[in-house]
Amino acid sequence: MIHISNILLALILLSVLLSLRSNRLMALVKLMAFQGVVVSAVPLVLETAHGVNFNLVMFFLLLVLVKGILIPGLMYRAVKWVVVDREVEPIIGYHASLFAGLIMIVFSVYVTNQLQLAMLPENHKLLLVAAITTMGAGLILLMARRKAITQVIGYLMMENGIYLIGTALAKQMHTQYVVEFAVLLDLLVAVLVMGIVLNDINHTFDDVDTALMGQLKD
Amino acid sequence: MLQLVFLIPIIAGIAVFFLPVKIGRLAFIATALFHLFVTALEWFHVTEPLHSKYFSNTPEGMLVLAIMSFLFLFISIYTVFYMAEVEMTKEPIFNGSMLLFLGAMSMVAIADHIIMLWVAIEATTLMSAPLIFVHRSKASLEATWKYVLICSVGIALALLGCFFIIFSMETSDLHVPISFSSLNGVAAQLNHVWLKAGFIFIVIGYGTKMGLAPMHTWLPDAHSEAPSPASALLSGALLNCAFLGVYRCHQLMFNAGLGDYSSNVLIAFGLASMLVSAVFILNQTDYKRMLAYSSIENMGIIAVGIGIGGLAAFGAMLHMIHHSLVKSSLFLSAGNILLGYGTKSIDKTRGMLRLFPKTGITFFAGFAGISGFPPFGLFVSELLIILGAIKAGRYVVITIFIFSLILIFAGASRLVLQMVFSEPENDDKLVPERWTRALPPIILLLTSLALVIWLPDSLYQTIQNAISSIGGTVNG
Repeated sequence: MIHISNILLALILLSVLLSLRSNRLMALVKLMAFQGVVVSAVPLVLETAHGVNFNLVMFFLLLVLVKGILIPGLMYRAVKWVVVDREVEPIIGYHASLFAGLIMIVFSVYVTNQLQLAMLPENHKLLLVAAITTMGAGLILLMARRKAITQVIGYLMMENGIYLIGTALAKQMHTQYVVEFAVLLDLLVAVLVMGIVLNDINHTFDDVDTALMGQLKD
Repeated sequence: MLQLVFLIPIIAGIAVFFLPVKIGRLAFIATALFHLFVTALEWFHVTEPLHSKYFSNTPEGMLVLAIMSFLFLFISIYTVFYMAEVEMTKEPIFNGSMLLFLGAMSMVAIADHIIMLWVAIEATTLMSAPLIFVHRSKASLEATWKYVLICSVGIALALLGCFFIIFSMETSDLHVPISFSSLNGVAAQLNHVWLKAGFIFIVIGYGTKMGLAPMHTWLPDAHSEAPSPASALLSGALLNCAFLGVYRCHQLMFNAGLGDYSSNVLIAFGLASMLVSAVFILNQTDYKRMLAYSSIENMGIIAVGIGIGGLAAFGAMLHMIHHSLVKSSLFLSAGNILLGYGTKSIDKTRGMLRLFPKTGITFFAGFAGISGFPPFGLFVSELLIILGAIKAGRYVVITIFIFSLILIFAGASRLVLQMVFSEPENDDKLVPERWTRALPPIILLLTSLALVIWLPDSLYQTIQNAISSIGGTVNG
């Protein structure tokens, strides 16, 4: 039987691989919105065994609002402001990045099997595979792209991956809504601050290419 | 109420954004005073103890909070007079962000819940970012971008570490609240493998923020590009907050019986930071970058001292106090130098003693202090760390430690002597010296001196309480 959580995990992996391949900034932002919604839904599906309660649904809606609408919305505006819409000359090419993403999946399966997690249910292990891949791919995006916007998207993807790892491992996390809300608020403010800095970088340098910034070094 | 310590600055900070400039300045200094007052109430436990899931009053947290609050008062006074000289148009935004930054840092100092601590540390990054790029020059934008991105990614890894620590509890079938105080109680039953993994990620994450090598790359840029009052706050208060995050986890490791492991990790990162700053300080051409590298060195010294433990842990805590005082004083002096000469280049700031005698004296005295010369506190603290290391039989560690200290002193003294004592190129003064801007750094230096001569009993007791949880003693 195909569990619904497995479909979600497959969708997450798909969004990860597509974002490694994509060279259009707008497409990346849309992928992030999609990934944000799917990632928000994972706890909801995993917890169905214990019954869905009101708090869980409310929190799901809040997550969708932040990860699926507000953050991509901010990124959307940032891309609109910036003149260029393509990532030119990435540090690591698209095919190489995609290949690295595939290797990342194999690596995550290996790591998950190595960790002796006998006490975790089977679908949590699959979740861990998807989570580690997402985190790793986020890091790849961060390091392999030169446009500052793509780097922010890499950071968001990494954060999504870490959030999923937390979902897989730390059950207590999902019973403490105050804390989880605070983490979410931090993420939102982080994107807001990055957006403001991005805007200023665009004004000052006429581009958001981080290769143009190289004054400060020893 | 303990939460007031971060609620007041945050509310005041938001208010300052919208107030007219002059009223905003008054509100800024008034908040600094009130923050010091609330901190004093908490320090002496005047208010009734607090029962919160997320916050608690711990000796090490109080130490960090007290240093921060004391520094902030003098930095805020300096800021007002500094801003009057540079005629900044965005002064309300700068002052408001300073207050929000103070609020975030205060939250770090009292956080007890593992994730709440993470939230607060991430918030310090976000609140301090506007302080760095307030000038909007190319260099400051680059510095801000590096700062926000490197620190956010580093701190995201710390969140992973937090999850591992929570998991180390859940694999052992324990169900206690995930706060440091309750985890310390059941530390012995935690799963060791996951705890070790968690500690590594947390040291990498918070270590990025603390400026431990090799994750320090953002620090010289951010500290040199920020306006001087912000640099003073970053160096004197923020680095301590990040250190507090590492220290809390070290306590947990110690209680779990993994103290040796976490000590060695801290010593390794500490020595690496000292060596890296020794190498990079040699050929500096920018005096604010030189001070920033010196902060990396001093954070390394603190990490080594905590790692060695015993008497050295006491030395490390003293070092934290004196480093904050002296380094903030130096950054404030650097702000005066920048106003007077209009450049950050060491070559172009000659003859300080003749052109700017007050600043020249405070800068040189601060340099003597930061290098560990006798009347200042860093001499005592470094001596205690060295004695502690010899008692613990860590001879290799202490050899590298002393070697780096000598190298840094040799490198920096050449630069500082040239700045202070050489003949000036010409007698141009952009902005003349004023007592209002010269006094705050002098007071901070004198405080450091006073604490060497007379360490108040309650401060001594608090340091002892803070280090007793990692097996540190003064008589050990």
